[in-house]
Amino acid sequence: MLSPHPNRSQRTRQRILVLAVLAIIIVFIAELVVDYFLRPVIPPYLLDTIVYASLFGLMAMGLTLTYITTKVPNFAYGSFVTVGIYTSYSLLRVNHINPYVSAPLAFVLGGFSSVAMYLIVLRLLARRGSSLVALMISTLAIDIAFIGIFGIYSDYLTSLYRLIDSKYFIALSATPGTDFSLYGLPGLLYVAPISLAAIAAGLYLLLTKTRFGIAMRASVENPSLARILGIDVERTYVFAWWLAGGFAALSGTYYSLWLPGGTSAGSNLIVEVFAASVLGGLASIYGAALGGLIVGASEILLTQAGAELFGSWVEIYQKGVPLVIMVVTLLLFPHGLVSVSWRGVPHSAAQSFRSMLTRLTRTFRARGGN
Amino acid sequence: MDVPMFVLFGIDIIRFLIDLTTVYALYLIVSLTLNLEAGFSGIPNFGKVMFVAAGAAAAGSVSGRVAAIVLNIDTHGDYNGFIASIIPNIDKALSQNILLSVELMVLGVVLAAVVGAVLGFVASYPAIRLREDYLGMLLLAAAQLFQIFLGGYQPLIGASQGIEVPDVFIWAETGIEVRDVAVLLLVGVFAILVYFYVERVARSPLGRTLRAIRDNEVAARALGKNDAAVRRNVIIVASAISAMAGALLTFYVGAVNAETWTRITWTFWIWVMVIIGGAANNAGVALGAFSFTFLFKTVDLVKFYFQGYIPFDVNWLEYLMFAALLILILAYRPGGILPEKSSATLPWRTIAQIVQSESSSPNVSALLSTPAEKIDQTEKPG
Repeated sequence: MLSPHPNRSQRTRQRILVLAVLAIIIVFIAELVVDYFLRPVIPPYLLDTIVYASLFGLMAMGLTLTYITTKVPNFAYGSFVTVGIYTSYSLLRVNHINPYVSAPLAFVLGGFSSVAMYLIVLRLLARRGSSLVALMISTLAIDIAFIGIFGIYSDYLTSLYRLIDSKYFIALSATPGTDFSLYGLPGLLYVAPISLAAIAAGLYLLLTKTRFGIAMRASVENPSLARILGIDVERTYVFAWWLAGGFAALSGTYYSLWLPGGTSAGSNLIVEVFAASVLGGLASIYGAALGGLIVGASEILLTQAGAELFGSWVEIYQKGVPLVIMVVTLLLFPHGLVSVSWRGVPHSAAQSFRSMLTRLTRTFRARGGN
Repeated sequence: MDVPMFVLFGIDIIRFLIDLTTVYALYLIVSLTLNLEAGFSGIPNFGKVMFVAAGAAAAGSVSGRVAAIVLNIDTHGDYNGFIASIIPNIDKALSQNILLSVELMVLGVVLAAVVGAVLGFVASYPAIRLREDYLGMLLLAAAQLFQIFLGGYQPLIGASQGIEVPDVFIWAETGIEVRDVAVLLLVGVFAILVYFYVERVARSPLGRTLRAIRDNEVAARALGKNDAAVRRNVIIVASAISAMAGALLTFYVGAVNAETWTRITWTFWIWVMVIIGGAANNAGVALGAFSFTFLFKTVDLVKFYFQGYIPFDVNWLEYLMFAALLILILAYRPGGILPEKSSATLPWRTIAQIVQSESSSPNVSALLSTPAEKIDQTEKPG
């Protein structure tokens, strides 16, 4: 997926994935618009679907970026989301800064905590020859340490600014004037999918059109060969980790607008994020975005469908949907959506279209001849 | 009859020691099973909490119901809803009836073992098929889901409020703390049994097979070892024992609550114990579990003295402290305090003696090209 010189079929597959992500986002927005005009009241689960899908798409892209560079499942990834959640929470409550305004700051802070984790812990352990399991348990340790840091930070907020809800707070959009409203719908419904689309498209451009992006792909695909070519592999990895942390914190900012947050809010999302990345194949960032869209949307839609069919007790098992997706993916096609052969589909479609055209032109010519 | 009190610096030392040892014994059981999985067999069980919690939930929810049926106590068709009035009635009856108490406890523990084994069997399906990083993710996610299920499914253990559990040790409550000593004796004996069992497994040919599969799966398979079956059995046994530990903890505490079973308390702490002590070394794990429990309980004890001076909860510092400790150990002493030792085999002298005693049989003497005396000499070089 990320080979430095993708052959034609790989490039086609990449483009298809990016297009699929964009298409699903467009379908979401179109559905919103249609619903807005057709239904008197848009059901809230539909709004949840759009937000969840976009946020998990963003998070899964970041997680996959950390996985393809270090090949370690990053259990601390959820805590970068919490970095974003707390950034927007404290800036809103203390300085009255809107989460949309503080989002870039959250991106930067999340990026730096991610880079710090990579440089201080993972690289140290990797250089000392730690095993994969040791690296995995170290990322779990970092997650616990992050929860400790957030706990201390929230206690500090409580004692300094009298914020009694700093350990568990409701969605920030409940504060009047936090989220804007467009055509009668909360602004996040537009911002979240558009951010995901912009980031997916931006990454595609970065990785295919810029020298640095191509160097990044080379470092992921074959680090030793990239080093021989004079690429600073470490620098590209650090940048990838920075982006990954940034995506997590950005989605954390959006998350805090929509859902209640707390010290381990991000860590608890780990089921969905891993499910999305695994569904995407853990090797392709566009696949991850697609996986995130599917996992986020199906989590809400399937639970909703189940609740309508069997009663509201189904709602407890909402988080079971991503887990089931993950299990099915791992056992049936462990390399994810990317491994499913897509190549034949557009090719044969184009071929049949072309042959249809030829047949038509022939018919017309034959008629013209007469 | 009371347990004597011994107060030092305002701390009841004996009460502290009883509690410390009981918790240590429970942690020891679970960390030994994790050592069997992760240390000896290379199965990264990042969902340990699920198996312990399953045992606790099974024992906690079933023992009370069974007691209510046996003692003919009216549950009004909603056991969890009327639990506040049911449990005192059960406890009153149990305080007179040692036999029923023991039966209830055995029932809970056996049921926990069965539930743990079944869960272990289910978990072994991916465990023998997936690479370790995928497996780690899957088990972590499954444990997270299980925790959400426990916290959301009311009929089992009352969702987030938790439920009380019949006190099966109430007959021992003949004086202050005597009940806790009884629990300690039971849990301690169980922990010692588990230790000897795990140690015996580690020293047996099976233990060497486990290490062989961990270190080189292909080579082990080439030597005719059925790695899938061995792994499956390890997970089943380890999960059953951890579930029993969960059931015992439930009976000790007298309540079961979904909040207890988090990724931090029963997965991460257990991994810390195994890694600090030394993976694939049971004595090391016992030491690691003790160091951890001692540090943890001592911090618990003294933190109230610091609470006034620090503007935050000391618990958060514990998280940071143990995470940092784990990473430092991984970086600078990856084997733990007591690293893994090579498999214990018989000393040369013993082998030589066996060979000598057996050499009368024509089979063995034909096989041996070196006489026993020569082997004996090679033992002391120089």
